Amino acid sequence: MIQYAGIILMLIGIYGLLTDKNVIKIIVSLNVFELGLNVFIISVGFVKDGVAPILTSVNNHSGLIFVDPLPQALVLTAIVIGLGTTALGLAFARRIYMKYGTLDLEEIGGNN
Amino acid sequence: MKKIVAIALLVFIGALLFTGIYAIDGFPKYGEAKVADRVSEGYIMKNVTEANTDVVYGVSTNLETGSANYVTSIVVNYRSFDTLGEVTVLFVSSLGISLLLGGFSGKLRNRCKANFILRMGSKVVFPLIIMTGVYIFIHGHLSPGGGFPGGSMIASAILLLYLSDEKFRVNIENFKKTESTAGSLYVIIGLLGLVISNYFLSNFINTGTVGALLSAGIIPIIYVLVGLKVGSELTGVITDFLKEEVE
Amino acid sequence: MMNPVLLIAIPLLLAFLSIILKHYKSQLLLLGSAVNMILIFGLQKGEYIIGGFKPPFGINLVLDDYAFISILVVNGLFLVINLMSFDKIDKLGTVLLVSLAGLNGMLLTGDLFNLFVFLEITSITAYILSSVSKKYQYSFNYLVLGTLGSGLYLFGLIILYSVFGSLNMADISKQMATANLNQMLIPTFLIFVGLAVEAKILPFNGWVKGVYGNANSLVGPLFASAYAGTMLFVFGRVFVQVLMVSSYLKVTLIIIGAVTLLAGEAAALSKTRIREILLYSSIGQSGLVVALFLSGLVFPAVLQIFNNIFSKAVMFTIGGKMADDTGTDEADELQGAFLKNKLAGLSFTVAAFSLIGLPLFYGFYSKINLLLGIFSLNNFWLPVVILLGTIIEGVYFIRLLVKLWTPGEEGHISTEEYATKFTIKIELAKVIGVVFLSAILIIAGILPGMVRNNLTESGQLLNEESPSYMFDLEGGI
Repeated sequence: MIQYAGIILMLIGIYGLLTDKNVIKIIVSLNVFELGLNVFIISVGFVKDGVAPILTSVNNHSGLIFVDPLPQALVLTAIVIGLGTTALGLAFARRIYMKYGTLDLEEIGGNN
Repeated sequence: MKKIVAIALLVFIGALLFTGIYAIDGFPKYGEAKVADRVSEGYIMKNVTEANTDVVYGVSTNLETGSANYVTSIVVNYRSFDTLGEVTVLFVSSLGISLLLGGFSGKLRNRCKANFILRMGSKVVFPLIIMTGVYIFIHGHLSPGGGFPGGSMIASAILLLYLSDEKFRVNIENFKKTESTAGSLYVIIGLLGLVISNYFLSNFINTGTVGALLSAGIIPIIYVLVGLKVGSELTGVITDFLKEEVE
Repeated sequence: MMNPVLLIAIPLLLAFLSIILKHYKSQLLLLGSAVNMILIFGLQKGEYIIGGFKPPFGINLVLDDYAFISILVVNGLFLVINLMSFDKIDKLGTVLLVSLAGLNGMLLTGDLFNLFVFLEITSITAYILSSVSKKYQYSFNYLVLGTLGSGLYLFGLIILYSVFGSLNMADISKQMATANLNQMLIPTFLIFVGLAVEAKILPFNGWVKGVYGNANSLVGPLFASAYAGTMLFVFGRVFVQVLMVSSYLKVTLIIIGAVTLLAGEAAALSKTRIREILLYSSIGQSGLVVALFLSGLVFPAVLQIFNNIFSKAVMFTIGGKMADDTGTDEADELQGAFLKNKLAGLSFTVAAFSLIGLPLFYGFYSKINLLLGIFSLNNFWLPVVILLGTIIEGVYFIRLLVKLWTPGEEGHISTEEYATKFTIKIELAKVIGVVFLSAILIIAGILPGMVRNNLTESGQLLNEESPSYMFDLEGGI
């Protein structure tokens, strides 16, 4: 089920954070974690046989069964925030590479 | 060894999570969310401040928020303050990137030369992508999408130009001015709401008929501003990332 | 009547404008923080709705006594620190304006998801500010841990939402009162972890060493006072007022706080660099405050936050300035530095004494209230831990002060050179700033009744019952 998949993706992301020492791989792990979280958030609002929460000429009145729109709005915010931190993280990664010539945090550890 | 410890730890945490979360009374099974018990019911019926029994597409007029897209009505009206924060997050991270990388004057060279198809094709596709982006953020209150996806599309069109033409450079100052003006206008609209109806970011314009292009009060205005702002911010981010230290 | 949303909107507006007016960034920053200070005195307590939608549907700002004193102190310190290190602001003006908006948002918001958004804004500004030291691997480390922490916070929050159907703090708190708390372990713990990363609680504080240990005289005091204070105030708000914690989890979390206190103080004892000593002391203090909040002692916890952030603002300014000028902050190499700069030295000493809790200083008042509060709980081990922490703190601060006040031996790494350099470069603004802050610590120590009256005008902070252990000692005697 989708909800389990979300939690498992989050755990995979944390595994990457715990074991990897490469800056880029850490950012990827962070993204996997956030992706899992977003899947989980969306899944919390799902209603079986519910329609997308948009009124159109077909689904035209509020009496229909809609899926919960609030988690979708929250995910939108979470995605944008994730984008911001990822971009900043990549900028740090480029700076680290310029300064030390490597992306491996263990190698950098020695020469501060 | 480290990996085995990490896996063991995560299996343990995972087991805790699975048993813990699903043991909570009231945590809905997948697909059985009770929307009626949540605040979302108010968003769907649009009856948070005014009594309202049914919302009908193309018929209902002057509701508390006139957006046909419920997600948009939450993002830009009910919880608009979050969106202001979200825009700020993007603003400050693009600012951080330009502090970190913006000081360089060189431009990263493309690994391989752009071929004829890319060069010509990008010129054809560019206006189409821009148009789609603008369409998406103008129709944010009617259809899926909105300021954030629309703005990203505009930035992707600029990225295409960067990839197809080695000498291409945007005038970043103009984009910064757009970004700054759009952001300021968002806050000013919020303050206008404070002056007119005593609530920051309140929807002080008539909301019109659900489903019409000119409806939903300030929602389309804010989404256009957000779209312009996100587009110019991401363009700035791309430009900063393509810079290189000149030796 | 002033709406507190202006405290967030005005810095944001100025931040957006400062991109166009790029030559006036630092002036705009001062304008923003000064306007905020003036606005604060025109505020009226109450609940303010944003967008016109009543909570729990819309977002609201809550301005109660707790929020009022916290924004007053945080904005005040923010302004003083920026005035002190005006020369260091330069390009950072916009980032600092955004961070001011973020800090105020965290302190004022009455919505848990809105808190997440402001937490992210504040942490992103913190990542950027931390990169001023050019040690990018530490900033990166901070970014990863911070993002993971706020992700876990969001995870816990979503579980709460799917159970209670609301994101509003007051609404969740009301519904949680009737819920089975043993089932709420997972979301509560996830939210604890998310806030603990920023609040520097073990074992989630791996980022602190690199970031605080290399901070300059602008960023260091900002992190150690405005940011740290805000995070602890938010922690108090969430864990005292919003979430109900089951008794087993509460004991566990208090133990985590106590361990952080002892570990932080012990680590500080083993360090020789000034900023490292200060940063481990900050970790210890965070552990103490968290333990107090979870024990339900809101009033002593708030007093202790004040004590910590005022003292640390002074000490990090002077420590950071020493490192900026001399390139080192090894206590051994800076021996006698204060002899050459007596006012700065005196302020540092006052701050250290207040943090230890010596009589005549504000810290004594906060420590005595804290201990009386703990004894009233009939808890037998927490007072022992806190006293032990205080003793360790006393040992390393007095050792540090002795080093900085006495000249080094003849022929020792040129004391004279460092001391002189330090004297020449310290600016008037910094001296005035640190003297001002330490004077507050002395005045508040001599007249604690003043602090108390301002703190508890309505006799209550966060619905805490009127504390019976409150205690004024004029002059600390």
